[in-house]
Amino acid sequence: METVESRVKEQLNVHALREQFPVLTREVHGKPLVYLDNAATAQRPLKVIEAMDDFYRRYNANVHRGVHQLSVEASEKFEQSRSAVARLLNAASDREIVFTRGTTEAINLVANSYVRPKLQPGDEILITHMEHHSNIVPWQMLCEQTGAVLKVAPINQRGELLLEEFESLISERTRIIGVVHVSNALGTVNPVAEICAMAKRHGVPVLVDGAQATPHEIVDVQALDCDFYCISAHKMYGPTGIGALWAREELLEAMPPWQGGGEMIQRVSFSGTTYNEIPHKFEAGTPNISGAIGFGAAVEFIEEVGIERIADHEMRLLDHATQAMSKVEGLTIIGQAEHKGPVVSFTLDGAHPNDIGTIIDHAGVALRTGHHCAMPVMEFFQVPATARVSFAVYNLHSEIDVFLDGLEKARRMLA
Amino acid sequence: MALDKLYQQLVLDHNRAPRNFGPVSGATHSARGRDALCGDDILVELVIEDDRVVRAGFSGEACAITTASASMLTEWLTGRSVSEFDSAFGQFEQVLANPGEPPCPLLGDINELRAVSAFPARVRNALLPWKTILRALEEG
Repeated sequence: METVESRVKEQLNVHALREQFPVLTREVHGKPLVYLDNAATAQRPLKVIEAMDDFYRRYNANVHRGVHQLSVEASEKFEQSRSAVARLLNAASDREIVFTRGTTEAINLVANSYVRPKLQPGDEILITHMEHHSNIVPWQMLCEQTGAVLKVAPINQRGELLLEEFESLISERTRIIGVVHVSNALGTVNPVAEICAMAKRHGVPVLVDGAQATPHEIVDVQALDCDFYCISAHKMYGPTGIGALWAREELLEAMPPWQGGGEMIQRVSFSGTTYNEIPHKFEAGTPNISGAIGFGAAVEFIEEVGIERIADHEMRLLDHATQAMSKVEGLTIIGQAEHKGPVVSFTLDGAHPNDIGTIIDHAGVALRTGHHCAMPVMEFFQVPATARVSFAVYNLHSEIDVFLDGLEKARRMLA
Repeated sequence: MALDKLYQQLVLDHNRAPRNFGPVSGATHSARGRDALCGDDILVELVIEDDRVVRAGFSGEACAITTASASMLTEWLTGRSVSEFDSAFGQFEQVLANPGEPPCPLLGDINELRAVSAFPARVRNALLPWKTILRALEEG
């Protein structure tokens, strides 16, 4: 164990890495910030902040429109970011990356452009019980509007999918399967490759909500053999308001545009419009250029640190937290899947999550309380809400101890 | 410090041993108050005779601030008229908006909840029982 520890220290100097995150030096209520709300949004390194700053300071211009130098530079950087995202996901081509506002918009794009035209009343959409609201509500809306039926694959008490039941819910009327790669509320890492293989046997396409996966593990869309993969930059050290949809080229080619406007066209006349090529066909209007550039920088940050090293560090934090929290009397960890991302959701007897959140905030600790945009999960575990700590590459083992001290203080206060 | 004022003994006591907690028999008015974001879910029940609150109670699951607020409010409300509630609600909102002002004599212990003003994310909890009772009165 000792040798492993020392090797990892060589591999990843967390203290040096923390210096790249300006916000981590601030204090909250007179205490050093301990930021454990990374599953809600991660903090941004200087590389991302500076990349966006540089765009506005030096080459702010619209993309793909002008012949002037600034526009050329902005377009180049914008497309380089697309390449970075394609590289991150091991997409077969940059053309398979559509910039969106985030995971939510990516799912809505697929729901409306790909699925809606195929739906007949009585057709089915299959999701799981552990989805984030963003992978539930777009499908519910679609069902309401078309007469399709939403089916939900069950989970067990550990917060794992029941794969046999899952497969039994796939029918000849299933038009798409939507599944979360890593659950934000439970931490569960789902066997996405297995699910995709299962879906393939039934000829059903799979959309994966990857918002919580790309910050923490290698994602290879070709190896997963999924059809759509949706991500958000801000979960992975990038800015808010930007994300991406990956889809196989032939799927994107066949899909009609979702939103109309500038950029997504080749030629417009009142007798008709010719649409642009993919991915631009799906990027109507002036895009979030600075966001995309920040997204590209975030991908480079992850590449520089190395996703394996990030994952290795986070899994140690998860182990430490899980072991320590298991010893806290009255504490129940919600979500005990065998394969988990760096997320620990919990309840504490006699202390409502809301009060824990407020009290622990005064110890400088930022954690999340509430339903985590996964109310069906709360319902399943029969809890009104949970508190949740979630880790990122810059978190320290000592921060888990600060959190545990704060938790003890909350318990004493409310007892 | 603000945190100690919010979680002061009086509030903690109302949270540990909430008054008027449990179902109210013969309730004439009731409403469910939910705050999905926080996970608060309470049911308030009132017995109203001749425009006067004879009994007031609440049940459900909520955080310490909501629980204490509901406990204090139901205690305060018992024996008072519906119009007294209406004017007290306005005064409570004033107290929350101006926590530095002297306490409102009408509200008694409830004034202590003004400490929640230093916690903008928690004001909704102090208000939930009030809003729920208002709905019970309006909707029956």
